[in-house]
Amino acid sequence: MLLDAVRREALPDAETASRQAGAAARPRAPAEPGQHGIAVTVRDLHKSFDGHTVIEGLNLFLPAGGFTAVVGRSGCGKSTLLRLILGLEAPTGGRIDLDGTAGSPRRSEPPRRIMFQEPRLLPWARVVDNVAVGLSGQGSRAERRERARAALAEVGLSDKAGQWPATLSGGQRQRVALARALVSRPGLLALDEPLGALDALTRIDMQDLIERIWLAQGFTALLVTHDVAEAVALADRILVVEAGRIALDLRVDVPRPRRRGDPDLARLEGRILDHLLGAPKAA
Amino acid sequence: MPASKRERLRDTAVPWLLPAAILLGWQAAVSAGLVSNRFMPAPLDVARAGWEAGRTGELWTNLGVSTLRALAGFVVGGGIGFALGLANGLSRLSERLTDTSVQMVRNVPHLSLIPLVILWFGIGEEAKLFLVALGVFFPIYANTLHGIRSVDPGLVEMGRVYGMSRTELFARVVLPGALPSIFVGLRYALGIMWLTLIVAETISASSGLGYMAMQAREFMLVDVVVLAILIYAALGKLADALTRQLERACLAWNPAYRSA
Repeated sequence: MLLDAVRREALPDAETASRQAGAAARPRAPAEPGQHGIAVTVRDLHKSFDGHTVIEGLNLFLPAGGFTAVVGRSGCGKSTLLRLILGLEAPTGGRIDLDGTAGSPRRSEPPRRIMFQEPRLLPWARVVDNVAVGLSGQGSRAERRERARAALAEVGLSDKAGQWPATLSGGQRQRVALARALVSRPGLLALDEPLGALDALTRIDMQDLIERIWLAQGFTALLVTHDVAEAVALADRILVVEAGRIALDLRVDVPRPRRRGDPDLARLEGRILDHLLGAPKAA
Repeated sequence: MPASKRERLRDTAVPWLLPAAILLGWQAAVSAGLVSNRFMPAPLDVARAGWEAGRTGELWTNLGVSTLRALAGFVVGGGIGFALGLANGLSRLSERLTDTSVQMVRNVPHLSLIPLVILWFGIGEEAKLFLVALGVFFPIYANTLHGIRSVDPGLVEMGRVYGMSRTELFARVVLPGALPSIFVGLRYALGIMWLTLIVAETISASSGLGYMAMQAREFMLVDVVVLAILIYAALGKLADALTRQLERACLAWNPAYRSA
């Protein structure tokens, strides 16, 4: 079913074409009945740690199914923003609303998932059981394993299901972490610099993989990165965060699949870098 | 394959070369009259004493009594140490309440309590159980606590974010993460277990291996004394080998413990 559709060659041409034609028409249609991205509304968000303000009056709307990248210098508050949206930190002020969660029973709510910079796999669990962690509290053990195997197939690691994480390469571990994040069909996937520790080529492979799965599943993606080229290659929209506020909000209307080195992307990347380098340092 | 089989055989044999050489040298030294038989009996004499003690059943009774005492003390002391280590690793309150006291008691050598223990319990089973349990308690406690403390907080956060319940988090993240350290404690504790028991039996007992050795001293049966000492060595090695097997089975995920 869906698993086959994830492979690039099996992607329906019609859908790819319609995406390219109507790049501005978002949010896109759900990829599967009952499966949809979560829209996020952030109003006047404040967050401070020990009196030190990190986020200061931030407003933001993420449409369901969009791919948004957040870039900024280190210490600008981009990771904190992501942790706040995920509910890993409580805001000091303001509010964050996720659509479909208000009033609906907790069970049916599509989960929010995060992929960390490190894979954070359990070294004492086989690869398939690590992926099944993404289904904690759902179904029987056999069912969880079944779905975990399917998710591993999506990231191209079916043959590693029975191995220990210690035997995998860095890129493979991060793919297992991606499978774990995706196995529960999340409505929102937050990526906290997940490719930062990978080598350049593995990184490009992972970017393609993430884009492919996002196109097939239609979750809302929020990518925090310090790599502007990565943001430009993947996102529909790029937010530049500075001193706890959004300093720049750019659309990326370049059709997919995007070619690396595309002049439009390069121009956009240059513009963002100019902004970041010319901007005063975050306090 | 014959080559790998030979290699395996060699790997098993090599660690035993040194003990075997020592035994041979010892036998040779005594037979040649270099060492007096009265102070150091030859290995063959010791083996004969062992055979004799085994035939009369005295050896097995004493070995059984000692093993039972050791295990009982280990289960009691290790169980309490493990439980308290878990409690203090998981709860700040519990740690603040008890850790200082435990650290104070820990610095008292537990064998210094022997006179007190004899006053309390006489030379009955309680005395041995108490001393072994006390000796085993600390290494298990300290290493369990340390193991839980050193679990990667990133993994714990991951478990929370991925919706693990508290029990699941404990069973799937915290406990497996603490296991390598708990095993270190286990091996220490096994050593202390035998040490404590032998000392206690030597000083105050009416059965057991330590008692057997003390009895033999009374009658100048040096071969039985040496026999008892060699049995301690064998028991220590046995306990260590069992722990290693357990480690290998439980920590197969860890490249450091994969079978060589």
